Amino acid sequence: MNTTRRAVAAAAATILSVTVVTALPAQAGDREVRREGSCSGSADWKLKAKSDDGRIEVEGEVDSNVNGQKWKWRILHDGSVSARGTAKTTGPSGSFDRTRRVLNSSGTDRIGWRARNVASGQTCKGNALLSRCGPRGPADLAH
Amino acid sequence: MSSRLLPTARAASTRPSWHRPVLQYVAAGLIAATLVAYATGGLSRRAAQEEAVLDAKATTDLLARSVIQPALPRGLVGGNQGARDRFDRISQSRAMGGPVMRVKLWDVEGTVLYSDVPQLIGRDFELGGDELAVLEMGGTEAERSDLSKDENVFDRPLGDVVEVYTQVRSPEGDPLLFEVYFSAADVTSRADEVFGAFRPISVGGLLLFLGMSVPLVWLLARRLDTAATEREGLLLAAVEASDVERRRVARDLHDGVVQDLAGTAFALAASSRSTSEPDLSHRLETLAGRVRQSLRTLRSLLVEIYPPDLHTAGLAAALDDLVAPASTAGVRVELDVIDTQHIPEEVVSLLWRTAQEAIRNALRHGRPQHLQVCVRQQGVPSGTVVLEVVDDGAGFDPDQPVPAQHFGLRSLRDLVRVVGGRLHVHSVPGEGTRLTLEVSLP
Repeated sequence: MNTTRRAVAAAAATILSVTVVTALPAQAGDREVRREGSCSGSADWKLKAKSDDGRIEVEGEVDSNVNGQKWKWRILHDGSVSARGTAKTTGPSGSFDRTRRVLNSSGTDRIGWRARNVASGQTCKGNALLSRCGPRGPADLAH
Repeated sequence: MSSRLLPTARAASTRPSWHRPVLQYVAAGLIAATLVAYATGGLSRRAAQEEAVLDAKATTDLLARSVIQPALPRGLVGGNQGARDRFDRISQSRAMGGPVMRVKLWDVEGTVLYSDVPQLIGRDFELGGDELAVLEMGGTEAERSDLSKDENVFDRPLGDVVEVYTQVRSPEGDPLLFEVYFSAADVTSRADEVFGAFRPISVGGLLLFLGMSVPLVWLLARRLDTAATEREGLLLAAVEASDVERRRVARDLHDGVVQDLAGTAFALAASSRSTSEPDLSHRLETLAGRVRQSLRTLRSLLVEIYPPDLHTAGLAAALDDLVAPASTAGVRVELDVIDTQHIPEEVVSLLWRTAQEAIRNALRHGRPQHLQVCVRQQGVPSGTVVLEVVDDGAGFDPDQPVPAQHFGLRSLRDLVRVVGGRLHVHSVPGEGTRLTLEVSLP
């Protein structure tokens, strides 16, 4: 029963997350994409991808409002792990963020931000598409 | 040599003649030092460039073994984007920068697995023979990059570059070609650094040797100069003694025989006029003429033995005495000489000496029918004095080497050069000779 509840909650959270993300328009015309949404629990996530001199600067953030939580995080690039690590939420906002530079390939780059609370299992998942010509309409917003 | 020319020659010889060889030695030494510096510089620079390329190869080798190969992630060969990102971050932080301007990683198919220029990643190019050899056999090679190749299209802004490549292996065990691009200017700069260390030795050593040897050469030149001065003094003394002796002989002849002959000629002429017998008078007159002729010949000989005081007697009178034997021998002589009172004594002496040599040569070797001696001045008061001695004798070929014993004309040229004049001899076999002397007046 508990398993069923958790699955339903996760599905609901994902739907809510998608709903929140699609509600945020991309900044069309530049080469920067910002995404944000809610994790499976009470935390929120943010993802920013910005092209920079042949690279993409990826910044992922988790804001749980609880200080001292341990999280595992990953940055995905076209589906494979580009960077990974662990972090603790700090400061009054109980958040952490990580920035990494990834290669800007010739086509559209699919950037992913994943985080999982080691203790509670709460997960955060965000994606963004970045083409050489900048974000492009609905395809950019699809997750 | 006339004693009247000696002051000029002596004046020329009293200049410090050791200056010239020392300056010549210094100039030659500097030229030699420059040439040696240039040659050794070229060789050293080439060696230094080779050394710099070796340095670049060593750097590449070290980079490949200590940074690149340990950092190669699994999946890079298969085109995993995350693996590329991870390798890129390590490459950017630990390999790029400093002398390294570009990094490329190839597989055996010629596919760029990684480059710090993302546009190249995944593209295929044809690998060269040397690159394939390194991929298969290992080793490290270097060459100047051919920027016209497609694979180097993004390298053109880097300018002249040297590419060094070596073999690394992926975690999966695939041989890969790791290629590093260095700035050729950096390599040259490194070469200059290496060469710069040797430059003071190669060039400075030569200059030091030159500097140390100059005083020795100066001393040697001074000694030679002193010896030459002493020899010249002896020669001048000998000439002076000869001159005194000739003057004594000439004076004795003039005061004795010449006066006697003049008196005899006068007495014979007076006797000829005083006798009433026509036959005797004619014979006395003939004898008087022969005595006068002998007198003229003797006076020409005196002129040969000891030249007259040209400023007192005048150049024209001296030349007239000089050509007297020619007139006697039936040569038609024309003498046209300006007044030379205003011309410096050494120039008049040179005119006399030159005319003497030219007339002597004409009469001895040319056997001319016509002899013309002309002294004129171009430009007054300064200007140029010109002496021309022209004959229609046998002439000669000026291009033929002059026999060693015929040193008159050669010594004349030396005299003219000392005084700063110009001597031209134009002659054609069978068509006579024209000798021209030009001396600029101060």
